[in-house]
Amino acid sequence: MTIGINEFIIVSSLLFLIGFLGVILRRNTIIIFMSIELMLNAVNLALVAFSRYNNTMDGSIFVFFIMTVAAAEVAVGLAIIVMIYRQRQTILVNELNQLKG
Amino acid sequence: MDILTNLLSLLFLPLGTSILIIALGKHRKKYAPIVAFMSAIGALSLSYILLKNLPESVHYSWEWLAFGDSKFYIGILLDNIGATMLAMVSIVALCIVTFSIGYMSDDAAKGRFFAGVAFFMFSMTGIILADNLIMIFLFWELVGFSSYLLIGHYFQKEEAKSASQKAFIVNRIGDFGFLIGIILTYWQFGTTNIELLSIQSGIDPSLMSTFIGFLLICGFIGKSAQFPLHVWLPDAMAGPTPVSALIHAATMVAAGIYLLIRIDFILTSQVLLFIAYSGTFVALFAGFCAFAQDDIKRILAYSTLSQLGYMAAIFGMGYSGIALFHLITHAFFKALLFLGAGAVIHACHHEQSIFKMGGLFKKMPITSITFIIGTLALCGVYGFSGFYSKDSILIAANDYNSTLFYFLVFGAFMTAGYMGRLIWIVFFGKANSEAASSAHEVSAVMTVPLILLSGFAIFVGLNAYWPFGLGASIVSDLDHLHHLSGYKEIHKWVLILGSAAWIVGLGVSLIFYGKGSSEDRLQLKFPKVFAFLKGRLWVDELYQYYVNHIQKPVAEFLSFVDEVILRGIIVRGGAGLVGVLGVGFRLLQVGKINNYVLWFFVGLLLFWLYGIDLF
Repeated sequence: MTIGINEFIIVSSLLFLIGFLGVILRRNTIIIFMSIELMLNAVNLALVAFSRYNNTMDGSIFVFFIMTVAAAEVAVGLAIIVMIYRQRQTILVNELNQLKG
Repeated sequence: MDILTNLLSLLFLPLGTSILIIALGKHRKKYAPIVAFMSAIGALSLSYILLKNLPESVHYSWEWLAFGDSKFYIGILLDNIGATMLAMVSIVALCIVTFSIGYMSDDAAKGRFFAGVAFFMFSMTGIILADNLIMIFLFWELVGFSSYLLIGHYFQKEEAKSASQKAFIVNRIGDFGFLIGIILTYWQFGTTNIELLSIQSGIDPSLMSTFIGFLLICGFIGKSAQFPLHVWLPDAMAGPTPVSALIHAATMVAAGIYLLIRIDFILTSQVLLFIAYSGTFVALFAGFCAFAQDDIKRILAYSTLSQLGYMAAIFGMGYSGIALFHLITHAFFKALLFLGAGAVIHACHHEQSIFKMGGLFKKMPITSITFIIGTLALCGVYGFSGFYSKDSILIAANDYNSTLFYFLVFGAFMTAGYMGRLIWIVFFGKANSEAASSAHEVSAVMTVPLILLSGFAIFVGLNAYWPFGLGASIVSDLDHLHHLSGYKEIHKWVLILGSAAWIVGLGVSLIFYGKGSSEDRLQLKFPKVFAFLKGRLWVDELYQYYVNHIQKPVAEFLSFVDEVILRGIIVRGGAGLVGVLGVGFRLLQVGKINNYVLWFFVGLLLFWLYGIDLF
């Protein structure tokens, strides 16, 4: 059997769903952060697949940009998590509830 | 001392006095009279030096405010008219402050009284010296304020309290028109400076507007208590008598006439005509009202109204110099009359009804003689100051319009009538009450000002002998009268009629009322006439009706709109709606990042659904 566009989209959607559920269900900030990365990469996969399917390079180039931005975002995000831990001695989101109205 | 320093120290000396008296604290009671007295002497000396060194006129101006291209100035303008006023105000004020030392000796709040009088002097000097209408308006309000303060001196009495409020509110109505008039003047002429206004209206008479003129004289109608805003003046007699003499007879009410004289060149002939007729009306109307009053001060208050009517009438006829002349002579003899009444009231232990006095001539000879001198001057008896001004008023009126002339002659007869009634009842016959029979002459501190003022009441009419060339406009107006065609015959005729008026007035009142009567014979014999006069054309009742039945429902309706619709529904309702929404939205803010992410995706989903035209 050949692996067509459908399989790529299914895998990409599954990865995105796993990431999304991770974001909304988990309490540990680092896990949430990893889930966000997972969603980003699911999108990357979809972009590469469409790029190949359409025989254009647009999607592939876009992926490079996403990876660059994601790297920067990880650096900032991890720094924020470290600072939160220093301030509050916790990184569990259910304890970081000062936004409660 | 150069003239500017002199002017400024003259203006600010009374203000400084007022502040000093307040700053004296608990020593106020002891030192306030002497401080006020020294200040009045200082002011008189400063005016003397000033008038001695004064060239024709001085004008200083400083920029005050600038809004873009519109600039507002403050400045001092002292010309011959202002100098004449200044001399009168300084002399009268000194006499009245001296009198007050005696009159107010038992008063518990001397500090407040003298500080108020000094503050009034500051404001009055400001009106005299102001060089533009805006500045006049500022000091205009300040005299109104000090008048309010001093009328309400005995604020424990309900009468004084409401009288002070009445004076303030009624003046406010006039001043509102005045303020709009000033703004329109600025709009029309581009300036409110009196000298510039005079030049501009001279160059281009088409700039003058009857409408603006009527608005400007609203200020005069309020301050000089002309019909229909005259209602505050009789009630203002609730204040201490020296205040009535200073503010409500000699100076502040005359400031309205002074304003007219200052701005006469921008008043059109229609405005002047109105002033002439309304002045004549007030002169007669107030004379009638005076017959139904039994309070000695109220009689004098109506007499003041009537004399202000004369000044307004002659001003309206185009003789502003003679209006100034009558203003000056009236200031002296009316201040004298009020102070005399104050002495009588003081001697009779604050009894003010003339029917409870009687026979005071023997007990208080100095007061009585000076009071009678004042009365004769008021009635225009030949040789007294009032004669000269009233005589020239009547001559001018005869030339202007014979109807007004006969009305004014009749007004002179009324003046003699009600003053005769007062004199015969208060000073002659027998005492009609305990207080009057135990009365005795007041102390020297009160009689000396009376004697001084009676000297002025006799001689101030000889305006040819005024020092420093004061009253130049009076001289020119009198000259104009003297060169009227047939002046000699008119003068003779006026002299006969004027003398007949006071002789008949005094005589009839003697015959009708009798010496020292204890009850009002007019009331006994002609109760209907008396009731009509007592009603004073029911102007007060009309205002009362207006306030209660027209203004009050409107105010209540507006209050309803404010309380219920604006504040209740719009403001509270709006706040309430937002509050309820806030409570609802707060439920969404659970404080968990996971939830926010979920909502974020829900939002995205909605956008997507919208994007694919699902709704």
